[in-house]
Amino acid sequence: MKRKLIAAMAATTALTAMAGCYASAETTLTFAWWGNQTRTERTQAVLDMYAEENEGITFDTQTADYNDYWTKLATSAAGNALPELIQMDYTYVDQYADNGLLIDLTPYVESGVLDVSNISEDILAAGTVDGQLVAICNGVNAPSLLYNKTITDELGIEINDNMTLDEFMDIARQIYEETGIKTDLPYEAADNWLPYILRSEDIVDMFTDDGLNVEDSSAFERFFEIYQIGAEEGWIIGADIHAELTSNSVEESPLIYYSSESTQSWCAFFWSNQLSAMTEAAPEDMEIGITTWPSDDPVKSDFLKPSQFFSVTRDAGENEEEAVKVLNYIINSVEANEILLGERGVPATSVVAEAISPLLDEAGQTVTAFINDVVTPNSSTISAAVPEGASEVFDYANQLVDMVLYGQMDAAEAAESLFTEGNSIMSR
Amino acid sequence: MNKKKQTLSQWLNKNSTAGVVCTLPFIIGFALFMIVPMGMSLYYAFCDYNIISPPTFSGLKNFQRMLTDTTFWTTLRVTFKFAFISVPLKLLFALIVALLLFKGTKMTGIYRAMYYLPSIIGGSVAVAVLWKRMFSQNGSINAILMALGVIDSPVSWLGNTSTALWTLIILAVWQFGSSMLIFLSALKQIPTTLYEAARVDGANGRKQFFRITLPLITPNIHFNLVMQLINGFLAFTQCYIITQGKPLNSTLLYTVYMYQQSFEFGSAGYGAAMAWVMLLLIGLITLILFATRKLWVYDGGF
Repeated sequence: MKRKLIAAMAATTALTAMAGCYASAETTLTFAWWGNQTRTERTQAVLDMYAEENEGITFDTQTADYNDYWTKLATSAAGNALPELIQMDYTYVDQYADNGLLIDLTPYVESGVLDVSNISEDILAAGTVDGQLVAICNGVNAPSLLYNKTITDELGIEINDNMTLDEFMDIARQIYEETGIKTDLPYEAADNWLPYILRSEDIVDMFTDDGLNVEDSSAFERFFEIYQIGAEEGWIIGADIHAELTSNSVEESPLIYYSSESTQSWCAFFWSNQLSAMTEAAPEDMEIGITTWPSDDPVKSDFLKPSQFFSVTRDAGENEEEAVKVLNYIINSVEANEILLGERGVPATSVVAEAISPLLDEAGQTVTAFINDVVTPNSSTISAAVPEGASEVFDYANQLVDMVLYGQMDAAEAAESLFTEGNSIMSR
Repeated sequence: MNKKKQTLSQWLNKNSTAGVVCTLPFIIGFALFMIVPMGMSLYYAFCDYNIISPPTFSGLKNFQRMLTDTTFWTTLRVTFKFAFISVPLKLLFALIVALLLFKGTKMTGIYRAMYYLPSIIGGSVAVAVLWKRMFSQNGSINAILMALGVIDSPVSWLGNTSTALWTLIILAVWQFGSSMLIFLSALKQIPTTLYEAARVDGANGRKQFFRITLPLITPNIHFNLVMQLINGFLAFTQCYIITQGKPLNSTLLYTVYMYQQSFEFGSAGYGAAMAWVMLLLIGLITLILFATRKLWVYDGGF
């Protein structure tokens, strides 16, 4: 009896082992991205479709919000366990490529596995580091001021694209005086907003490799001055209100999330692809408009950002080619993009962009027109990705904004501190 | 001498072998998940390391950087303030509640469970989010205080440098349950004969508390103080979720800054160095508490 039992157990073990062998003939690809719920649902649907069409491929997906995503990716890189396919951002692509974490896609373009014939040179160049094609862009965005069109229409205020900072502040004052509704300047967002202002002063790249690319602190004064004016005149959403919110989240933006006029804003600084999400999150009777971020020189400041890249990583190993095939599917398949519907931005592949444009909802159509008709003719080339250490400088700039908002420093002092401390952080 | 060679089964049946085998899972886990990572972090503390590229040795650079890093000193100050205010308050609160719940009634069990609950859920993300909403300008704290007429208009508890840290301190104090249980069991250990004798001698309640109760539970106060101070210095979740150090770094706890340096600013080496400095600091404070033990802790038995 006992012997029979052992035999049965041995047989079971052998069978399981064989089943295991069979299972390993399947390829599991890990795919990681950051983003909102809509993105996750649509991307998952596309991957399911791909898995159905390609036997033997299964997906393991990982999603997180933007900040956690990079923490998670960095730790997986340290553990040699990066997902095969990752979503990449312009800010990080250099850093990841320089550390050899992303594979060069050029051989696959040459062998025809990856088709980039319908993507413009400019966009391909944005994903090229040291002559290697390491990332393919699947969405173009632009800085966008989203605003409460219901209020501006009621007050008879006309919002023009490419407005200057002075015009913007006049509107802020008028709305504050007439309704008590305030203005939400970028908060905890110096990484986007500070370079945007510097670009209007002809400082395209804020950093050199070991310091700040500015002669003296006066370059930073305009940036802090706007906060100082706003705080003194009372029309700015202050740091005390932001202390209760999750910074830069669509759902908790003072544009749509408020308890009274004093915590409400008529505008919010975001990106063009976030218009859909903002429109969906807004109260039903609120119409959301889109225009450019204000600047002393809008054409110099504004730019198109190839965002939402995809890369195949070093840790893909023998799954490398399969991962590239998936990448090819996502950027070139019309069926896939009919599901994705440009949620990551206007698709980089021209054929796909044309094919899906009639299917876009109203917000999607508006964004496409905004990118093509407003930003493209009135913008300059994007600045180079920032070097290591920049994130700490921007964090320091955010703290200085707080000091200005709380009235503990004036703009000149804050600019001086940023100049000194920024150079010291970068030279470390 | 006819001592036979031990057979395998004899060796396996020895008490010492059984002991080692049974503790092996813990020993392996401890070595793999504690000793090895600690060793690595010690090495990283002397390296330039941004996580995604390999570490390069940089000597004492990370430790020298602390001397000039003003944010580092700010976080150290904030953390000391947080720990040295929240821990004594928490122990005081725990002791008061323990004294109230000491006298058994039918409801005592339920009350004990109720007061212990915050300790279980208090450290969670959900409660941290709830806390943030409660203390917001249109939150329930402002609503209650306004209804009672204490304040006229909503106060920005989280946005004000003088009040923001207190929201975190109150959350920490609220989690007094485990200290309370330890005090409760200590109170039960005190022989009732001592109180009877005191009553016969005419001592009132206050005198009984300060002459009998307090001296006899000093070992438990000492234990709670050590444990809670360690917890206090390592607090992370509350700050990370509720305030993120805002406003003006007035609530930026040491551990959160360490996390920012490691994962957001790409200085994991510096983060590791900070972790070791904190370990030394906690070690030092614990050492002081044990060194001064004989001055205020009664170990004489009843």
